Amino acid sequence: MDNAIEILGLRKAYKRFALDDVTFNVPQGYVMGLIGPNGAGKTTVIKLIMNLIRRNAGEVRVFGLDNLRHEREVKARIGFVYDVPRFPEDLRLGQIASALAPFYPKWDGGRFLALLDEFELSSRTVIKKLSHGMKMKFALALALAHDADLILMDEPTAGLDPVFRFELLEKLRAFIQDERKTVLFSSHITSDLERVADFITFIHKGRIVFSAGKDAILESWGVVRASDGSVRPDDIPGLRGYKQSEFSLEALTSDIAAARKRLGGSTACDKASLEDIMFFVSRGETHA
Amino acid sequence: MLKLLRMEYLLNRRQILIVLAIFSVYFLYMAYRIDSPRVFLVSLCLMMGLAVPFGFVGREDKFKTAALVCSLPVRRTTIVLAKYAISGMAMGLGLAYGLLLAAALPFTKISVVEILTVKSILIALLLVSVLSGFIHPFTIRFGLAGIIIFLVSSQLLGIVALVLAQFLGRGPNPLRSAIAAVEKGLRTMLYHEATPGFLVLLAAAIITVNAASFLVSRALYARRDL
Repeated sequence: MDNAIEILGLRKAYKRFALDDVTFNVPQGYVMGLIGPNGAGKTTVIKLIMNLIRRNAGEVRVFGLDNLRHEREVKARIGFVYDVPRFPEDLRLGQIASALAPFYPKWDGGRFLALLDEFELSSRTVIKKLSHGMKMKFALALALAHDADLILMDEPTAGLDPVFRFELLEKLRAFIQDERKTVLFSSHITSDLERVADFITFIHKGRIVFSAGKDAILESWGVVRASDGSVRPDDIPGLRGYKQSEFSLEALTSDIAAARKRLGGSTACDKASLEDIMFFVSRGETHA
Repeated sequence: MLKLLRMEYLLNRRQILIVLAIFSVYFLYMAYRIDSPRVFLVSLCLMMGLAVPFGFVGREDKFKTAALVCSLPVRRTTIVLAKYAISGMAMGLGLAYGLLLAAALPFTKISVVEILTVKSILIALLLVSVLSGFIHPFTIRFGLAGIIIFLVSSQLLGIVALVLAQFLGRGPNPLRSAIAAVEKGLRTMLYHEATPGFLVLLAAAIITVNAASFLVSRALYARRDL
């Protein structure tokens, strides 16, 4: 399987936060979701791929090309959607598109207008009159109009209502029908990723917790629930985090099959959702 | 780089018109009041050469579009180069516009023939380049706040110079010698005969000042996190 993005040993240090030795690959032709709680480092990773911030160490290769040495070639193949779209507020959509179009050799004006039409936007509308969701749609139209091979989206669904989110996710699903196209999309809204992602990379406190196929994760990770004090956290194989009170224990395991085998049928072992995984891994070991 | 210049023009078209409208009024005033061709020339280049690019920087800060520009398939070096080109073009625009007004207005004290000499233009460009050459790296690193940082730093330097002057007394001292040397250099430059060698030297000085400023700005922009 070819990789659209290869990230190796990426480091970026801030005063109060550090991205530490981040390594993962994004396979070409798939949607990868980058999940993690707020402040985990998702935006930092995406900005490093786009060279919007300077890395301290590591390597980023996009379609086999180093993202710094081949910056122009790499960025020409990327459609980038920010968490907060940044356009001059006093300009019309058509004016912005006309300013940006010459940078992309594969820009398709007809496709751009068709996308605007599809998103119910007019090229004559001024940016400041758009809602956040409409700005995201415009940003997506710009990203798709130049036939990008890779779409990078930073929290695109944050702050959008469910209808907008559903439309956006459908658009992404349609985009990867062409198997050359790839999407890397960060979010803390796990239900969005469960809907469209093929692979999940979970980042927490600047470190990668796991990066694997979504189905494999949802198959193997589980939540153990016990209420009679018969199970202790140490008894659970593959323990990744737990919540314990005087009367109950809820624990996340990365090996639900082993947990079921060891704990037997009397203890509830359910498959974990991405939200469960994010919650337990983020909270670590807690005692209520 | 032409794509960047075109983009900046399209994104800031209205801003350019606003600056031109404001400076039309100002140029009218200058043409009526100022009788020194050199002051007129330097003012024209300075006003436009700073107002236009820093107007763009202001908009870039306001709408946070630096990240948008840096996400395009262009190198940061090219982006910085475009900013310097815009500054140069704005100076040229200011000069052309001012000359046009000076030629067209009946009450102006400035004769276009007086201004339109190679020496006058090169001296004006050098003086403006020195000033913008200092300010550009600040704006490229810090945005519009860079101008404030530059002005505050300059004021602090001035205060330090004043205190030093008091401390060192009226006799010969290094500070006095340095200021006298700058003053003498400026006088020599202003009153030097416009020989070909002198003009080449002026041109070389303009290129050197801009190149040095560009190299500093490029290094700063490469390190800027957006």
